[in-house]
Amino acid sequence: MSRAASPPQNRSVLAGFLSLLGEFLITVGLVLGLFVAYSLWWTNVLADRQAQARGNEVRQQWQTAPGANGSAAPGALDTMDGIGFLHVPAMKNGEVLVKKGTAPDVLDDGVAGYYTDPVKAALPWEASGNFSLAAHRDGHGAKFHNIDKVKNGDAVVFETRDTWYVYKVFAELRQTSKYNVDVISAVPKESGRTAPGRFITLTTCTPVYTSKFRYVVWGELVRTEKVDAQRTLPAELR
Amino acid sequence: MYGWIWRHLPGNAWVRAVISLVLVLGVVFVLFQYVFPWAEPLLPFNDVTVDEGSGATP
Repeated sequence: MSRAASPPQNRSVLAGFLSLLGEFLITVGLVLGLFVAYSLWWTNVLADRQAQARGNEVRQQWQTAPGANGSAAPGALDTMDGIGFLHVPAMKNGEVLVKKGTAPDVLDDGVAGYYTDPVKAALPWEASGNFSLAAHRDGHGAKFHNIDKVKNGDAVVFETRDTWYVYKVFAELRQTSKYNVDVISAVPKESGRTAPGRFITLTTCTPVYTSKFRYVVWGELVRTEKVDAQRTLPAELR
Repeated sequence: MYGWIWRHLPGNAWVRAVISLVLVLGVVFVLFQYVFPWAEPLLPFNDVTVDEGSGATP
């Protein structure tokens, strides 16, 4: 319209503003791209490094402190360093260190945490209850990334210093509200069980790359096995 | 903005390119080391636990 008639300075001011805006938008795009790389790659690098170091420490401690043998040994473990390792062959992710608590600063180190809140988890050596765990689906080690590969009948093995706890998966809830705290109660009704037992519950977020819902897998203890001197793996892990 | 930075860097084109690279790496470092770790818990992408909602730690 009258643009051709406007003085050159006005045009260069407008052009300058537009190029500044363009550069700003490009910058925002790059920063968001970097954030994706950070979330899905770099946090895994950091967390796996942490988990490896902490896991080695726990194994070291198990080896160097054989004095506390006997039935009370698991309870004697320092729960802040980690109480043992979770093996889920169906998830194909090796061993996952299990620590106390599900706060971000615990889970961000590439471990699984057992719930202390809102429902306190029962530890595997307790006579009955629900050993409820949470871990990241993506980033920070992504230890439960393949939770959707776990099917009924799959083995979930928890390893402590002197015992293998072998669980068998019997139910899953592929999507539930993040406020559904009943899934980690001592007798999780939605799994179909009504009587007390020795359960394990794995929780993480779903769908992948979001935190909209929660994914839950339940297992039940089928047997325990004493750890021998060579730490021979139970049949399910061989 | 980038043009302005480029014009104000010293040296010839090669020196400027090297300085630019160092600046970019510095910005990436600051983002990964300080900004993203701060921002991540504020964003709703990585809560994995069930809880009783409002304000509780994920």
